[in-house]
Amino acid sequence: MHASGNIEPPFDPVWLTGVAAAVAEAENRVSPRLEDVYLERRLDLRVSARNGAPVVEECRSDGLAARWSVGNRDVLLARTGTSAEALHAVLAPYGRGLTLPERRPLPAAELDAPREWRRWAQELVTRTGEDALDLRLVERRSAVIRQGSWSAVETPPLVRARRVGKSASALLAVHDHPSLGEWLRELLAPPPARTWVPEPRSRLPVLFTAGTAGALLHELVGHLAESDLTARGLSPFAALGGAEVAPHGVTVIDDPGRQDLPGAFTVDDEGVQAGPIQLLSDGVLAGWLCDRRGGQLLNHPPGRGRRATWDRPPVARMSNLIMAPGTTRPQDLERDLENGLVVSRLSGATVDPTSGRVVIRIERGWEIRHGRRRRELGQLHVTGSALNLLANIDPAIGDDPQPEWRLGWCVKNGLPIATGSESPTILVRQLEVL
Amino acid sequence: METNDEPRHVDRLRRATVAARDLLAPSHAARWEVFAKASSTHHMARNEGSPPFETLTEETGVAVRTCHGGRFGFAAASGIDKAAARRAVESALASALPFPRDPLPPERLLGLATVPPAPPPTPRGWASHATGELRDALRARSAGRLAVLRLELQEGSYSWILTTGEGFIGAHSGSSCSILVEVGDRDGEGGVWHEWLWLPDPEQFAAEEAAASVVDRALLRGPAGEPRSGVRDVLLHSEISAHLLAELAPLFVATPGRADPLASLVDRQGRLASGLLTLVDDRSGAGAPLVAPCDGEGLPARPLTLLEEGVPRHRVACFMDAVLCDETPRGGAVRLSYRDAPASGLANLTVAADTALPPARLLAESERLLYLVRPVGPIEVVAEIDSFRLVASALSVDRGRVEGWHPVVELRGSLGSFLRRIEALGTDRRWYQTSCGYVGAPSMLIRRQPVGTGARGG
Repeated sequence: MHASGNIEPPFDPVWLTGVAAAVAEAENRVSPRLEDVYLERRLDLRVSARNGAPVVEECRSDGLAARWSVGNRDVLLARTGTSAEALHAVLAPYGRGLTLPERRPLPAAELDAPREWRRWAQELVTRTGEDALDLRLVERRSAVIRQGSWSAVETPPLVRARRVGKSASALLAVHDHPSLGEWLRELLAPPPARTWVPEPRSRLPVLFTAGTAGALLHELVGHLAESDLTARGLSPFAALGGAEVAPHGVTVIDDPGRQDLPGAFTVDDEGVQAGPIQLLSDGVLAGWLCDRRGGQLLNHPPGRGRRATWDRPPVARMSNLIMAPGTTRPQDLERDLENGLVVSRLSGATVDPTSGRVVIRIERGWEIRHGRRRRELGQLHVTGSALNLLANIDPAIGDDPQPEWRLGWCVKNGLPIATGSESPTILVRQLEVL
Repeated sequence: METNDEPRHVDRLRRATVAARDLLAPSHAARWEVFAKASSTHHMARNEGSPPFETLTEETGVAVRTCHGGRFGFAAASGIDKAAARRAVESALASALPFPRDPLPPERLLGLATVPPAPPPTPRGWASHATGELRDALRARSAGRLAVLRLELQEGSYSWILTTGEGFIGAHSGSSCSILVEVGDRDGEGGVWHEWLWLPDPEQFAAEEAAASVVDRALLRGPAGEPRSGVRDVLLHSEISAHLLAELAPLFVATPGRADPLASLVDRQGRLASGLLTLVDDRSGAGAPLVAPCDGEGLPARPLTLLEEGVPRHRVACFMDAVLCDETPRGGAVRLSYRDAPASGLANLTVAADTALPPARLLAESERLLYLVRPVGPIEVVAEIDSFRLVASALSVDRGRVEGWHPVVELRGSLGSFLRRIEALGTDRRWYQTSCGYVGAPSMLIRRQPVGTGARGG
């Protein structure tokens, strides 16, 4: 058993231990073979305003899933509930001869919002006015049973905020992050009245301020290093392991141990203990983000098998992508720019992994001329090939790492999970305006 | 897999609603509503380089809305046993907050329309057979020029019951089936294509026909180059039409506390779009993905005309939003799942066309036509300032002959004047999954659209 940390276990630990022992035999068969059992409880609390009055919507849900390897295919059987009956329902179809413990699980304590969160959220949405803010608290507790043992997956409670209306924007943060108030103020700040966008197809240097570069690296490095793409040869990184893909000084790790960032976890959703993985080491492609299957295919340690919800299989995903700071002051990077853009907020970024083309949606920023900020930017898209973009990162890297709070909710193949990032200011020497 | 668990589901749902009612009846809730839903889903994935993957999911849940002493509460809990009903009821009562209006619709507005039955469930093994057939057909049709990267079939059945303290009971059982195809160009020029195919009747599924629709569009190319700028006729593929209409959807949803942006879009005659464009939201009829006898709050399903020959008519709204916006409640509440409270939204937005032409004729009619075949990014609409931006891959077509292929073409400018220049609709209406739900759209021909120039700035 591995119930770590200082919060109560999500499920009855004695029952889980009994179940883990009971299913061990099925895990050692050739086929059908039980890969793992995943159990999850979740609290989703939404606070919004209607005509100025706060409204609370509360949802408590739980479910579990058993993953089987049956001949040449994989099967996930998933079901609402975490009771003994629900467990039996996902084990019985392939678990011939399995005998589960007669003892029933003790009920676990209900998940609830951190103290004072409801009051804080109600006051905030009411004060914001015009029904403009939608706040959510997401808490998840889960456990993985595998190889005769079980592990508790601990993740921090998260706050999602969405500004609705014509200047829609979003925030994702750990609920007690000390900068949350400041980020919310920034989220709710009105957009500039007069804006400018450069001509389509113009090619310009773009300075990504501290934090915003995290979202860029999430697309450029994180997704392209995920094992489901690389193992199938579908990522531009697939054949580049050990190659220099970025300038010296660009070092990026994926670290689920950063509990102050939204992608944190103690154990991944396949039961692998969390640990940092170095992806770029001084510009050299040094590692992959693997779930168990990807790890086998790429001969690389797993630890990034993550599930969007209890009814979806684990896939290789990022946790918190951290870029190491450099030694250059950000104002020096800006001062040296003759003609370019400074980006202070992104509202989206996508990568087509097969073609390696990245599209970045800029929400706020400035035109920069002769080292000085001029006109404020309107919404625009910039694009480029992932490998060219990485090669075009200026080796002078800012000394000012900051977390990114805007784009943590990462959707891949339609499945959202929480991720985080932290980065200093970086300059990409050339991007094309779309 | 047999995905029709309807009788078992309905029986359990009834028991859940009875359990909730027994808890609510003696409570201080003056008015209440219980919604219980059960679904079975089968997801079959055949992705290149990975073994086949199947997911079989059973999901159940109960949601409760209560209204008492000027306080309103909503809560949901997974499961449909007595414990789930108790959790939902207790949480709704405990988390209720003061609210100035009664948000539950009055009983006199509730009712059920007659809707067509769902297609029968597919037999065991059908999903595996259908995806295998489609994969082979895609390979054969493309003669190896396309790689089938993802092929995912999702089929399922569901049942729900909605009941209120006043005695209204609505129930429905349905099913759905769709396929997602992702193909990649082996020469790397065309990038990756996604196609979502809705199968209204899986028994009628024809793999060769489906493969042809995916492959023919993915391989439709000509010599690459920049499009000639200037004023051009533009033909939107039905997928682009659907995503454009999805971006217009907020214009037809009443939202309290927000100004209606239609005023800045309509012309002096009150016209938003060309007289050819009539838009309807309808969950009552066959031939649409989402069918139900009533909306998410129990108002009977009926066709709602949103835009009639280019002129805005009605907006959809859940009861609470209709009251707050001084709209007549017509039924426009959507429940995304049991977890979510009913909210204003569209179910099946579709183009109702009296006059339409085959797409081949639309292609053949124009000189120097720009045919937008695939969206490259999200379509942006800012209704408040009457602007839109659309980026797509396109073909230059001269009287039906492909003259050039343009990986990225941008259209931008006045949304109102773009919509008013729609001059013909195609007979090729298809359903798509969009950001605002299901949209059924045909090809659209727009005359005299400036290409390569347009309004800039915010």
